Parts: sequence; C-alpha cells; structure tokens
Amino acid sequence: MEELGKKTLQEPRIKFDNVSKVFETRSQEIVAVKDYSMEVLTGEFVSIIGPSGCGKSTLIRMLDGIIKPTYGAIYLDGIQVNEEGKMPKETLRKMGFIFQQPNLLPWYTVRENVALPLRIFGLSGQAWEKRVDELLELVGLTKSGQLFPYEISGGMLQRAGVIRAMVHDPEILLMDEPFGALDELTREQLNMELLDIWKETRKTIIFITHNVEEAVLLSSRIYIMGTQPGRLVSTVNIDLPRPRSLKMITQPEFISYKQKLTKLIGDLDLSKIK
Amino acid sequence: MNTTTAVQKKRKPESIGSGYLNILAPLIVLVILIAALEFFTRAFGISRFVLPPPTDIIAQTISNFPEIWPHFLFTLKIVAIGFMISVPLGMLIAALFSQYEILVKAISPVIIWLVITPMITLIPLIMLWLGTDPNLRVIVVIIQATPIITLNTLNGFTNIEGEKLELAKSVGASKRQTFIKIIFMNAMPQVFTGIKLGCIFSTIGAISADFVAGTVGLGSRIVQYTKYNSIELSYGCIIIIALIGICLFSIVELIEKRIVLWKN
Ligand SMILES: Nc1ncnc2c1ncn2[C@@H]1O[C@H](COP(=O)(O)OP(=O)(O)OP(=O)(O)O)[C@@H](O)[C@H]1O
Ligand SMILES: [Mg+2]
Repeated sequence: MEELGKKTLQEPRIKFDNVSKVFETRSQEIVAVKDYSMEVLTGEFVSIIGPSGCGKSTLIRMLDGIIKPTYGAIYLDGIQVNEEGKMPKETLRKMGFIFQQPNLLPWYTVRENVALPLRIFGLSGQAWEKRVDELLELVGLTKSGQLFPYEISGGMLQRAGVIRAMVHDPEILLMDEPFGALDELTREQLNMELLDIWKETRKTIIFITHNVEEAVLLSSRIYIMGTQPGRLVSTVNIDLPRPRSLKMITQPEFISYKQKLTKLIGDLDLSKIK
Repeated sequence: MNTTTAVQKKRKPESIGSGYLNILAPLIVLVILIAALEFFTRAFGISRFVLPPPTDIIAQTISNFPEIWPHFLFTLKIVAIGFMISVPLGMLIAALFSQYEILVKAISPVIIWLVITPMITLIPLIMLWLGTDPNLRVIVVIIQATPIITLNTLNGFTNIEGEKLELAKSVGASKRQTFIKIIFMNAMPQVFTGIKLGCIFSTIGAISADFVAGTVGLGSRIVQYTKYNSIELSYGCIIIIALIGICLFSIVELIEKRIVLWKN
C-alpha cells in the first residue's frame, strides 16, 4: 500500500498527453500517431511494441525534439518540451537517442563518433575522455576506436551507436530497435548487457522493439501499439522478478506473458484484416 | 591497441604496393602509346602537318624551350592564380546559398547556365570592358572554374541523409556546428570532385583566353606555331598545357587522399 501511495505521488518523468502526429505528404495526410498517452516514472524500463509503421519511431523522435507533435503535449519532468520545435540543450542532455540504424558519421573514427555528443554539449575534460574509453571498453570496441565506421562490422556499429547515446551520461535512454538488425546471439548478449547497465545506473529507458521475447525479458511495462492510425491498443505490466536472466525464458510465467502478448498482437492483425 | 597497430601495419604495404602500380600502369601505357605513334607515323609516312613523330615533337620542344618558357610561366601563373581564387570563391558562394533552400532553388539554374556557357564566347566582351592587359585572363579562369565548383559543392551540401541531420538535432547542435561537423564533412567528397573539375576548367579558361587575343601564353604560342608550320612545337605546347592540368589535378587528388580518409 505504502509503495503504491508513493508511486501515485511521484511525478512522471515522461508524459505523453494525447499526442498526435500527422505527416503531410504530396499525395495524402498520414496519421502516424493518434491520441497517444503514456506516463513513465524515473528508473522505469518500458517497451513499445507493435507492427511496422505503427508510429513507434515517430513517438520517441517527438520526445527527443527531432520532430514536432501536431496535437497534444509531451512533458519531461513536468515541463512541456518541443513546443517550438527546437529544444534547449539542457533538456536534450537528459536524453540519449539510439537510432534504428547505427547512424554513425562515416567521416569520424569510431571514438570520435562516440565522443560527438560531448563535443556538441560542450563537455570537455579528462573525466569525460575517460568515460569515452570506458564505454568503448564496456562494449569491446577499445581496439576499434581509431577505425572508421566502414572498417567495423554491423554489430560493432550498433554497439558504437548505443554507447554514443550514453556518453553524456543521460538519465533517459530512448532506444529505437537498437539491436533489430543483429543476429540472435549478439542480440541476446546485448540485451543482457543492457539490463546490467540499467541495473547499475537506474536509467529511465523507453525501448522500442518488434520482438515479444525481448520486450518481456527487459521491461516493467509494455505498450502495444496498433497501426492505421498508429495508436495505443493495450498496456501490459510484466511482474517478473528481477534480476532477470536468459534462463527465465523457459519458465512458465515468462511463457504465459509471451503468449498473452503474442495473442494481443495477433488479434490486432486480425482486426486489421477484417 | 596491439591489434589496431597490427591491422594498420598490414594495410600499409598493400596501399603502397597499389600506389606504385597506380603510377606505373599509366606510365607503361604512355610509353607504349608513344612507341606506337612513333612507329605508325614513320612506317606509314604520315604527314608532319597531321601528326609529327613523337620524338621530333620532344626534340624540337626541348631545343626551343627557352622561347616557350616565359609563355609557360605566364599560363601557369594565370591558371594557378585563377584556380586558387576559384576554389574558395566557389565554395563560399555554395556555403552562402545553401543557408536558404529558396536561394539554392533560385540560383541552381543560373549556375548550370554558367557552367555550360563556354567562357571563350565572353572573352572579346571582357576585353572590351576591362582592357587588353593579359593578366586580366585570370578573370576568365575564375568565371570558367568557379561555377562548376559551386555546383558540386552545393550538391554535396544538399545531398545529405535526413538521419544525419536528426542526429545533430538530437544533441542540440547549433546551426554552425551542424554545418561544420555534418553538412560540410558530408559534402567533402563532392567538394573535391568540384575542385578537380575546377582544375580542368581553369586550364580550359586560360588557354581559350590566350586563343582570342594577345601574344603571350601557351595558347597564343599554339596559334603562332601553327601559322608558321611549326607543327612539332604546337604539339609540344599542347602537351605542356596538358601537363599543367594533370599536375594540378594530381596535387588536388593527393590532398583529397590525405583528407577524405573515410571514402572506401
Ligand atoms: N517524415 C515523414 N514523412 C511522412 N510520413 C512519415 C514520416 N516519418 C514517418 N512517416 C509515416 O509515419 C508512419 C509511422 O512511421 P514510424 O517510422 O514511426 O513507424 P515505426 O513504428 O517506427 O515502424 P518500423 O517498426 O518499421 O520502424 C508510417 O506510416 C510512415 O510512413
Ligand atoms: Mg521505426
């Protein structure tokens, strides 16, 4: 009871309040997101799952100031963000964005790419440089720091993209299918690394994925989105104990969550066909 | 760290090897070409008015070099100065226009029009306006070479993946930071393409200015030598002009290789 009381009193870190996004293209208006609401508390790990094109990327791109919402408001620490389409650096510094593609800049070395946010946020000094090296080491890229992106593998690129988003020590991580392009083994390994990072640093994480198993394993709560228009369909709390490990995948609770989600997403596709 | 250096060590000899080959292969082709021309001109008795044997061209050019030298220096000066003004000017114009999308749209057709117009057609007019001082040919070089540099640079600036700009936005990069760290760097390969074309256009500009009027410059030499049937020397001057262009081009390419390390 007490904990529940605390929770309700706590102000959400991130709040989407009836957010819609309409893209105007040459031929038509695309409603990418319609009336989306969501609240995320400090230190929570939530996932957004849904079919391709349902507006997942659009959602977190609005939060990170890349695009402007058409209707509704997004709040970060109770302050509305992204009103004018340009966000102050102090607000952006709180967030790290991991792109769907690694999105490294070909003209910088791996290390320069990882350090880019520091240069732009104006964070200099030994401590920050040391942090870059530590992060490179964390994901096994120390030896590749001086190489150019075209000289490293796809998985390495993706890992570089992940630590670039963390280099300025943001409290919030926005991850857009960060491991989507990777093979299953690497993906599982990186998921576990991500859980470690989250456990140690207690960052607030919004994680976007297509993968049900991944979502159940990582999240405290999963938002399921439907498509055309992109909208919230249901929310599922995952009350599995922590710390979580890959071993849990075969446990009955885990499997029942997985089935429940798979069914919810499946129903969604069926209703679309109808 | 160890493997990094090992990787770099492994790569180096490879690139040096291919570097030698890059220089050697065209040289071999050149020697074969000269030998073949020498053989054909002599074996089939081709008239020296059409094509003198290469050895005659080389011998006569060398023996007349003191006479050609000042013209060479003059043309080199015009090309070099014109080129060195055109490069920053072309890039600056592109940088200014690229700040506003509407300006890019407005100015692009004009630039293409300038690129396509052979500036030789303007030379008599320019001389009419500015006088006959041969040094004014630098202006011809500039208006011949600048537009192509602007055009390519501008293409480079506008030809950028949205994701890269989104990255800049997500870290709150200022307009200046975005331009320097992303837009300009992204355009670098295309900027160099523009500059290399600028080398060619500079040489064309200088020679065509020589053709129209005056008694200095390698272009005017070609006109003179041809008039007096010194075909060997005409060819000699043509080769020297080509060499100026090739040297300039090679220098730019060398610089490009030093700077654009990331282009595979
Ligand atoms: N810049 C844009 N202009 C026009 N339409 C857009 C733009 N960006 C996204 N859309 C549209 O918005 C919808 C949602 O796109 P979004 O990228 O958010 O989907 P997603 O859920 O991330 O899909 P995926 O899982 O394939 O990455 C799509 O229909 C897409 O066509
Ligand atoms: Mg997406």
